Amino acid sequence: MAAIELPTWAALAPALILAATALVLFLIDSIESEPDTTSPVLLTAVGLAGALGALAFNVWYLIADTGQNAPIELFGGQLMVDGMTLVLGTIVASVLALVVLASYDYIADDPYQAEYFSLLFLAATGMTLLGSVDSFVTAFLALELSSLPSYALVAYLKDNQGSVEAGLKYFLIGALSSAIFAYGISLIYGATGSLQFDAVAAAVDPTALPGILGVGIVMVAGGVAFKTAIVPFHFWAPEAYEGAPTPISAFLSSASKAAGFILAFRIFTTAFPIEAVATTIDWLVLFQALAVVTMVLGNFAAATQESVKRMLAYSSIGHAGYVLIALAALTPTANADLVLGAGMLHLLVYGFMNTGAFLFVGLAEYWDVGRTFEDYNGLAQEAPIASVAMTIFLFSLAGLPVGAGFLSKYVLFGAAVGAGLWWLAAVGAIASALSLFYYARVVKALWIEEPSQDFEIDTYPVGLYAAIIVAAVVTVLLLPGFGLVSEDAIAAAGALL
Amino acid sequence: MVGVVHYLVLSAAVFAIGVFGVMARSNALMFLMSVELMLNAANINLVAFSLHYGNLTGQVFALLVMALAAAEVAIGLGIILVLDRNFGDIDVTVPTTMRR
Amino acid sequence: MSNPWIAIGALALVGVLIPLGMMSVSALLRPSVPEDSKRASYESGEVPTGNTRIRFNIQYYMVALLFVVFDIETVLIFPWTVIYGDAVDAVGLGPALLPMVAFIGILAVGLAWAWRNGAVRWIRSPRAQQELTE
Repeated sequence: MAAIELPTWAALAPALILAATALVLFLIDSIESEPDTTSPVLLTAVGLAGALGALAFNVWYLIADTGQNAPIELFGGQLMVDGMTLVLGTIVASVLALVVLASYDYIADDPYQAEYFSLLFLAATGMTLLGSVDSFVTAFLALELSSLPSYALVAYLKDNQGSVEAGLKYFLIGALSSAIFAYGISLIYGATGSLQFDAVAAAVDPTALPGILGVGIVMVAGGVAFKTAIVPFHFWAPEAYEGAPTPISAFLSSASKAAGFILAFRIFTTAFPIEAVATTIDWLVLFQALAVVTMVLGNFAAATQESVKRMLAYSSIGHAGYVLIALAALTPTANADLVLGAGMLHLLVYGFMNTGAFLFVGLAEYWDVGRTFEDYNGLAQEAPIASVAMTIFLFSLAGLPVGAGFLSKYVLFGAAVGAGLWWLAAVGAIASALSLFYYARVVKALWIEEPSQDFEIDTYPVGLYAAIIVAAVVTVLLLPGFGLVSEDAIAAAGALL
Repeated sequence: MVGVVHYLVLSAAVFAIGVFGVMARSNALMFLMSVELMLNAANINLVAFSLHYGNLTGQVFALLVMALAAAEVAIGLGIILVLDRNFGDIDVTVPTTMRR
Repeated sequence: MSNPWIAIGALALVGVLIPLGMMSVSALLRPSVPEDSKRASYESGEVPTGNTRIRFNIQYYMVALLFVVFDIETVLIFPWTVIYGDAVDAVGLGPALLPMVAFIGILAVGLAWAWRNGAVRWIRSPRAQQELTE
């Protein structure tokens, strides 16, 4: 149906645009020999153009059904483009655009802005590519391309002890987990003699070396669990998200998490289909256990926090648990398209509402309001529009029907029940009910409590405000528009299985 | 003759040394070296199995892993540098500004 | 059929015996002249000053990093050079050459950035300046 015939490599256009933007930003920074003389407006404009360009290509390809009937294979089957690639590309590009917009105000006084934006785009390139990997080689490369700039970005405020500490912890655990991931890949290569996903799938059943394969699968699962902050590898998340510059926290907890999950979906459905590896290692049971532990631990820990940013960090661990249901519920009786599609939908909706919530915290930091719940008391009187947006984000995160978070959670839990795992859905529902308690604490502080301090708010930053409002509008609009995107996501999941 | 099992045992030993270093040392540089050991254990496996299966996939991937390990060290050293400037130490257990 | 490990073992044995033998023979033959300056660390004939634990200029780190980048880059060029001739025969000059041109082009952007931002500009530290004038 596409009116214009494009060459096959053009299927990678979103990733190519992001990479080109990163290089252009480096070149712009190279024109002036003195550091930090480049205009922030120019950098933000180039960044926004790159992010929106990538977003436009993703949406266009989704509408034009590029690669959705038959995946487009590139580079001898190392990369592929299908519906899931485009869904992830859309999530990453949207979050990136919001983060670029918000960063204009957030890092206005900090040096090395061109490097900040370049690293942001390099990380986004890696995340977009994670959606199109078709072999463990490209999976490892894309994972590292998204991780390495992220370490530097978390430690970007290099005179701020919190930021440096966060960067160090993120880097240490990230380096460790990438080493484990690489060793797992080497064991899988040992057991199967191949690194292509479909060739691995063909070689795992029957395998001559079930022990090596099993250890390899567990190690690969560990590497993915780090990227998505699932429980045994979640320690870095609260520290990194709390210490990092807030737009970066938003970017990592939304886009990076989505990329990790899409990689997990791809690996465990394409390379290790459950019917082939069930005798070696039953990853369904593994992920069911991890999903329960992650949901419970993330939400309970979030309920005990004093700092809003740290609460959001723990809540993002809880949400990783919800999305993990999508993998854990792939039982033989399940409607597999629906289960995986629901996971992708939650990632999409979560991308907007979580980014928005973190950016509101960034706005509060911009005004030096403070970080605890009490510091937010009465903020709605000073900033009513942003507070309405924050209320939408929080209630949507909790699963109340003011935003699309309600629908995506409903579909996800419904799919789990349909797979015969009613207890998994029950744990999710209880965890959601608990989450309402701590999200409501923020809303109560914003609207009901009397101000406990005199706010000194003299400027209303345009970029941050615009990003928050756009995120809120999309979160609400996805409520009526849910049917539109859900078709695409479920079709993308169906193409995978 | 030296078979693929020997290489597997060697790489497992190197990996285990790396894991021990990660667990037991609190110096950030030692941590980096331990992680390098773990990555190189993966490389031993990849090259050995590449020979065993007679395809080059593993060897090329080992080259890529080396390149990435170098990039990781470059980033890591930068972070350790700012760590030393901010905390006056490169002990990874020292920075605890966020635990109250 | 003799075991091939015997040859390796013999080589290792010879490799250990030669230096040990040389050291023991020279220990028996040489005269003994105890003197303190023999134990001092060697600094090209100068009298050593300070201890070895000094802070190095941060710019060595920058140069080392750039070296690592270009060192590792060659590792990735190697497999390409190995198949280059066959690749040109198989797919023609463009598809064989252009990916590597793109790869080196991206590296060049990085180098240009580092150059313009002064990563390779050598600035004397105040301490070095002071030592120079003393």
